[in-house]
Amino acid sequence: MKKYASVVTAYVGVAILLIVFTIMNPNFIRTRNLYPLVRSICPYLLVGIGQGIVCITGNIDLSIGSVLGMSAMISATLICNGVHPLLAILIDLVACLAVGLVNGVLVGKFKLPPFIGTLGTMTICRGLAELVNGNYNTGDIGSGKAQTLFRDIFYYKRVIGPFYWSVIIIVLIIWFCFNYLMNFTRTGRHIYAIGSNVDAARLSGVNVFKTTATAYMISSFCSFTAGLITMAAAGMGSMQAGLSYEMYGVAAAVIGGISTLGGSGYLIGTIAGASVWAILQNGLTMAGVPVALRNIIIGIIVVVCVLLDIVRRSGFKVGGKKKAA
Amino acid sequence: MSEYAVSMEHITKTFPGVKALDDVQLHVKPGEVMALLGENGAGKSTLMKILSGVYTRDSGTVKIFDQEVGDLNTKQAQDLGVAIIHQELNMCQHLTVYENMFLGRELTKNGRLDIKEMCRQATDQLSKLGITDLDPRTTVGDLTVGRQQMVEISKALLINAKILVMDEPSSSLSNAEITEMFRIVRTLREQGTAIVYISHRLQELHHIVDRVTIMRDGQYITEGNFEDFTMDQIIANMVGRSITNQFPRDLVEKGEKVFEVKNLNAGRMVRNVSFEAYAGEVLGFSGLVGAGRTETMRAIFGADPKEGGEIILDGKSLVINSPEDAIRQGIVLAPEDRKKEGLCTRLSIRDNIALPNLDLICGKPFGTINKKVENEMIEKGRSSLTIKMASPENEAASLSGGNQQKVVVAKWLARDSRVVIFDEPTRGIDVAAKVEIYEIINDLKKRGIAVIIVSSEMPEVMGISDRIIVMCNGKITGEVDPRDTTEEEIMTYATQFGDNAV
Repeated sequence: MKKYASVVTAYVGVAILLIVFTIMNPNFIRTRNLYPLVRSICPYLLVGIGQGIVCITGNIDLSIGSVLGMSAMISATLICNGVHPLLAILIDLVACLAVGLVNGVLVGKFKLPPFIGTLGTMTICRGLAELVNGNYNTGDIGSGKAQTLFRDIFYYKRVIGPFYWSVIIIVLIIWFCFNYLMNFTRTGRHIYAIGSNVDAARLSGVNVFKTTATAYMISSFCSFTAGLITMAAAGMGSMQAGLSYEMYGVAAAVIGGISTLGGSGYLIGTIAGASVWAILQNGLTMAGVPVALRNIIIGIIVVVCVLLDIVRRSGFKVGGKKKAA
Repeated sequence: MSEYAVSMEHITKTFPGVKALDDVQLHVKPGEVMALLGENGAGKSTLMKILSGVYTRDSGTVKIFDQEVGDLNTKQAQDLGVAIIHQELNMCQHLTVYENMFLGRELTKNGRLDIKEMCRQATDQLSKLGITDLDPRTTVGDLTVGRQQMVEISKALLINAKILVMDEPSSSLSNAEITEMFRIVRTLREQGTAIVYISHRLQELHHIVDRVTIMRDGQYITEGNFEDFTMDQIIANMVGRSITNQFPRDLVEKGEKVFEVKNLNAGRMVRNVSFEAYAGEVLGFSGLVGAGRTETMRAIFGADPKEGGEIILDGKSLVINSPEDAIRQGIVLAPEDRKKEGLCTRLSIRDNIALPNLDLICGKPFGTINKKVENEMIEKGRSSLTIKMASPENEAASLSGGNQQKVVVAKWLARDSRVVIFDEPTRGIDVAAKVEIYEIINDLKKRGIAVIIVSSEMPEVMGISDRIIVMCNGKITGEVDPRDTTEEEIMTYATQFGDNAV
């Protein structure tokens, strides 16, 4: 199981964090804290899946956070203006997937560097998020029957016991589908192949544009869902929703063992990666660490995680002489 | 006091498994242009890399201006006055002419760059070569390749080069640029520079060359005054080796015409290429490195865009805009550079073999991979090519070169293709692996598939092919039957650049 080593490391990391924070504050492990903690993993996991898949193609998607905000603002604005939530979600979905397609065209067809291309869509989408409600956050989406059902499903519903199952189930289903796609289908193989060696993939008959666009559209779909969850949790649309989430996505993917260079990593790792991120946020707060210090610690831990992984993979020879080609 | 600028004697160099140079000698006088000639892989570049300090020799002596030198690094070689102008220019495209010429040795005055002085010296150096219309503040990327080469030569002279090695300098130049380059080489000769000139364009040599040294298979063959050789003698000395039959060519009845290419054009290296391929035939493509063979195959396969031309398979004209189109219609290509184009090295062997065949492996719905079909395919590839691997789950990068090449070939065996193109299928792999690949080629031929093989190894292409097309400079220059041709004949076609220099 050597190839899953990075994934195993990530889960070991989760276990260690759980133990450390429990020792620091025994309240950490109590259900009262764990339920919201698990729920807070959901948006991180979604952006981790999206960014992870784009990273496996060897690209990056900087528009994730803005699409999340755009998703929250479009759906909330439509619902506030009397559109049925189901229709609002559909319109929102189309808008978000369009962004993914644009990213795919820019990077896959016109060969823009992914950093630049998605930087453009990132800015545009944040602008759109501000534009839809005339540069104001929306008001409360209301408590009609459909609105309440929407909020229940995406955030509040307690189906069995005291646990907020529904949102967790939604996210796990999404994870399961994409995990299946990545490991057991042709599209998944193509995604790994273009990330590993785009020239060889093309000469093997892989349609590079189609594959790149698929990856970006998956990413946008994940951001769209994360946007709905964020909106349901707040009960309103916020123009600032999802700020920096593209970077949380990178963190979740990379901690989970996905290389930003492309071609390697497994989605199973993103669950651990997103968990590490959420646990650090929650645990450090519970341990009474001040906000500023908290960010510094999280930043250091992410860098160390990735550095350890690189060191392990290159056989402990960081900065050593490269093998001649 | 010796008269030689460079004197290399008894040079031997061994790479793992290959004796690249065996007791080679080279002598060049100041003010002399020495042509270093030989086929691809004769060891010319290796010898020059020893001179310039890139490689260290196993044994032999090197004297530069009578001074015996030990193992050099590139910097020391440069300080002794040795400079190499490579075929691929080493220029920073975004910097200006003077910035390139002074790269790493910038002149400063009071801690600031002395741009004025650098420009003055650059202009000075350029005008010594008779180039007066080039502003040193021009960005190098805006210059023609020929002009860039002039800048590179000027840069070398600025570091006080007394021995200039030019490796295929004319290969990427236009005719007018070649003429100017020759003029500069003559100027340098008059100024007493010793020049080693490596070129496959034999017809051009008489413009500048004084003496020739000929190498073959890592050995020194002969040297002498250029005038004392005829062109035929030079070619005979370059290729004259006996061919043993290490190539199992099976005879198969030549079938009907399967494949035809008409007037294919794609860039500078594919000009009006037309040929036909028949079932049960191995069609060889011979020529020098850079003759346009790979470019032709890539254009047919849809890997590079075409400007025009028709590709006909089984009587039907095909539209091929991407490798995907070509593969679906029955034309496959095993590319030249396995690490860059043939394999996803960080993916498993399984993933690599399955990659082009996922349309056969994946079922409905959602294109789910059918593990059973996939395993059968991997097993078939592994057994028919005896790929040595611990497990198909291992990274392709973990295999040896020969086994990697077998994986590249195995990728294409699972499909029922009509045309299989191999581009340099045996480069850098051992003899046993080569024979296995030849047997696969024979097997495909027996199954009635049209096989096209591009190879720069003369014995190989003569041994395995049923018919050989020779290319030079993007054009087809000849077609021969390997059973009644000689290497000399092929080499004559392969060097038909024409003499366009004035």
